[in-house]
Amino acid sequence: MKRTNRIFTILIFIFLYIPMAVLIVASFNTGKDITSFDGFTLQQYVRLFRDEKLLRLLGNSVLISVLASGISTMFGTMAAVGIHGLKPKMRKAVMSLTNIPMTNPDIVTGISLSLLFVFIGGKLLGQKESLTFWTLLIAHVTFNLPYVILNVMPKLQQMNPALQDAAMDLGCTPVQAFFKVTLHEIMPGMIAGAIMAFTMSLDDFVISYFVTGSDFMTLPVKIYSETKKPIQPKIYAMFTLLFLLILVLMITMNLIQIRGEQNKHKRRATADSKYARLAKRIGAFALAAVLVLGVGLLIFQGRSSTVTLNVYNWGQNIADGSDETMDIIAEFEKRYPDIKVNYITYASNEELYSKLSTGGITVDVIIPSDYMIARLKNEGMLEELNFENIPNYALVDDSFKNQHFDPENKYSVPYTWGTVGILYNTKYVAEEDVTGWDLLWNKKYTDKILMFDNSRDAFGIAQFLLGYSINTTDKTQLQACADKLKEQKPILQQYVMDQVYDLMENEVAWIAPYYAGDCMAMMQNNEDLAFYLPVDQGFNFFIDSMCIPTCCQEKDAAELFINFMCDPEISGANMDYIWYGSPVSEAKQHMDPVLAESDVVYPDQTVLDNGTSFAFLPEEISRYMETLFMQVRNS
Amino acid sequence: MKKNNSLLLSTPYILWMLVFTLIPLGVVAYYALTDPNTGVFTFSNITQLQLYLPVLGQSIWYSLISALICLVLGYPVAYFIAHQKPVAQKILYMLVMLPMCMSFLLRTLAWVGLLQDTGIINNLLSAIGLPRLQLIRTPAAVILGMVYNYLPYMILPLYAVIVKIDKRLIEAAEDLGCTPVKVFTKVVLPLSVPGILSGVTMVFVPAVSTFYISQKLGGIDTVLIGDAIERLFKQANNPNLGAALSLVLMALVFICTGIMNRFGSDEEGGVIV
Repeated sequence: MKRTNRIFTILIFIFLYIPMAVLIVASFNTGKDITSFDGFTLQQYVRLFRDEKLLRLLGNSVLISVLASGISTMFGTMAAVGIHGLKPKMRKAVMSLTNIPMTNPDIVTGISLSLLFVFIGGKLLGQKESLTFWTLLIAHVTFNLPYVILNVMPKLQQMNPALQDAAMDLGCTPVQAFFKVTLHEIMPGMIAGAIMAFTMSLDDFVISYFVTGSDFMTLPVKIYSETKKPIQPKIYAMFTLLFLLILVLMITMNLIQIRGEQNKHKRRATADSKYARLAKRIGAFALAAVLVLGVGLLIFQGRSSTVTLNVYNWGQNIADGSDETMDIIAEFEKRYPDIKVNYITYASNEELYSKLSTGGITVDVIIPSDYMIARLKNEGMLEELNFENIPNYALVDDSFKNQHFDPENKYSVPYTWGTVGILYNTKYVAEEDVTGWDLLWNKKYTDKILMFDNSRDAFGIAQFLLGYSINTTDKTQLQACADKLKEQKPILQQYVMDQVYDLMENEVAWIAPYYAGDCMAMMQNNEDLAFYLPVDQGFNFFIDSMCIPTCCQEKDAAELFINFMCDPEISGANMDYIWYGSPVSEAKQHMDPVLAESDVVYPDQTVLDNGTSFAFLPEEISRYMETLFMQVRNS
Repeated sequence: MKKNNSLLLSTPYILWMLVFTLIPLGVVAYYALTDPNTGVFTFSNITQLQLYLPVLGQSIWYSLISALICLVLGYPVAYFIAHQKPVAQKILYMLVMLPMCMSFLLRTLAWVGLLQDTGIINNLLSAIGLPRLQLIRTPAAVILGMVYNYLPYMILPLYAVIVKIDKRLIEAAEDLGCTPVKVFTKVVLPLSVPGILSGVTMVFVPAVSTFYISQKLGGIDTVLIGDAIERLFKQANNPNLGAALSLVLMALVFICTGIMNRFGSDEEGGVIV
């Protein structure tokens, strides 16, 4: 019985530690893929320490955890001492208040705080930017406080109240008695609470994800947003180092506890023993060091003798120096040393819109798609550009000017463009079946087909198939599209966005509709993949353009940035990473010839003429579409 | 004098918690009851919730199963730890806690690497000549992800309760002629009920509201309520409906913890983490 239990426990520990072992092993891997070990290297650690951006994100995470745990330890200890002295009824009420953030799901806490900040900051105070570093800090302190209190309270309850009275009888003031006696007794609880708060903050993703604004991002939020390309192995190196750090922290915490207990057994009576003094000093020193470090980091982060330009772009939509591409942001900062770029990302046009319209953030350059530009323009959320500051606009092809969303070319400068077509694997899909969008409904390939996981693109395909306009506002037509999509669901493998990379490259799925640039990127990694554009049925043609929103603070710098991005050399280097089409044809001379000569990314103009772009739909219609899509997904 | 001090010390905290936990819930309710377009009072968000009933049912189902599996796996481990020497207990306790402090996202991604069709497990299988299995994109994978992530939340409170069980009670039962099985069912198990209840709650609550595990490990039919809420906020630009759905989730969790607290009236049992 005992023996089986021991074996069982060992098995469970193996289960708990295997995924972490996988990550740690991956940090020493020469290859990029977590699933195969190609050879041993320490290169990832070198890369990690050379990657300023990644270290800055880590610094952000550490900063917020240090500050939040420091503040909540002091604030929480004070509160715990207060609560301890309250009448039982009152104490119970306060403790149930303390329990709310503990029992509430993280996602609800995150949402409620973000709605609160947006509501107070945006609606009541009329702030332009209501989600900032400070609101993130408040959120972290709020969810850390209960941990500190729940660690300190038991220590207060265990403490002999006579101790404090004795100290006061011997001539201590209450304050002195607190610092000389009580503090010493509750120190282990404080330290445990602080360490727990620190680790909770460091790893928090869900709450931060909803409360993060534009000026400050932590590491987990960044990791979540990077879905398109596989995680860079240097992140595994960072994981390994953090693992060691937390291991050390925990061992420290345990040693303090064990020492504290031994101490208690040995010399119960002498409160001011050598050990206690030492422990107190170490504790006080650690707390002070932590706060100094926090403040120092804050000053370090905040030092800005220069202009800060906030660029808000799609996730992984700019070359960042990985895979031997140019680091565009670093290049820009090198060319304009007075400007520091704060680069943040969004996952969809809708997220961009909701952040801008609720006043959650302030940004200087945004890169929305066509229909979103129309909407932002209609709602007066875009600044007119000063084209005297953007001479490179002359290099942009005329075919990308005078678009429906900006007919007079006042608000936008194209960044990338592309089409939506079908990516398929020639090894498994018969050429004669590739005739149009119908391929995505072909039962022969049941369970091997992927579909867009966003309502607009998914409905767009159904609309082309049924011969409707992709900009229809007719609800019966939309209902018909939903029925068409419901009919498709049983043969689908998955609704995906960026997971398409993994599934198609590894031949788990055979057919997927996706954006041409991404398809081109996948085709580089698996030569059996091919791209098909249903020219006769029609397809979506999109342009993402750079704009300046009205909340912009640094318009001149923003225009410099836009101009810089239209530089053929820069645009070409950028496309080497994102694989979409450049609106500057001269850029083709500066990019990978495979890309420049590809008819997937650069189809003939006659082909492009059959493409339609999305127009802005009234809010009511897009919500209706989303509801229908939800019905399809839940059916 | 002393009372005043206590009030003085605790008031800032009480105010803080009111402003940053209770009032935000009021704001959620406000959003849930207003129209996303016009901002006027409406019940339409609430009536639209029926669309999400299957998702809600599925979330509850998955997280209940996960909580049960965690209980079955976690109990022997907690029991084992509680019967070690004090120093060994401390070390094992720390080893259970450690994974909880590491990045939840990366650890879940590691499972993707293990389970995916060309992942580590399938590579091993095909290396020894067995056929590849479809592991990822199944409900089982989602439940595995939940069990893996939240198992420590089960072990820790169970351990805290089992370790406190008075050894003399067990000896007494043995002296009175109980078989080991009977000692367990008649003495140990009833005494660990508070730990079981708080463990089940602590697994169920995060599992029912998760939104990352199902996105990474799940398939076409494993949409959970957390996914739906995240989608409404981040993609559909409909925070009002998202707020309504969050209220439902919150109500569900409070009902669940309420039931658990009713059964186990132990004051300390709840929060050990």
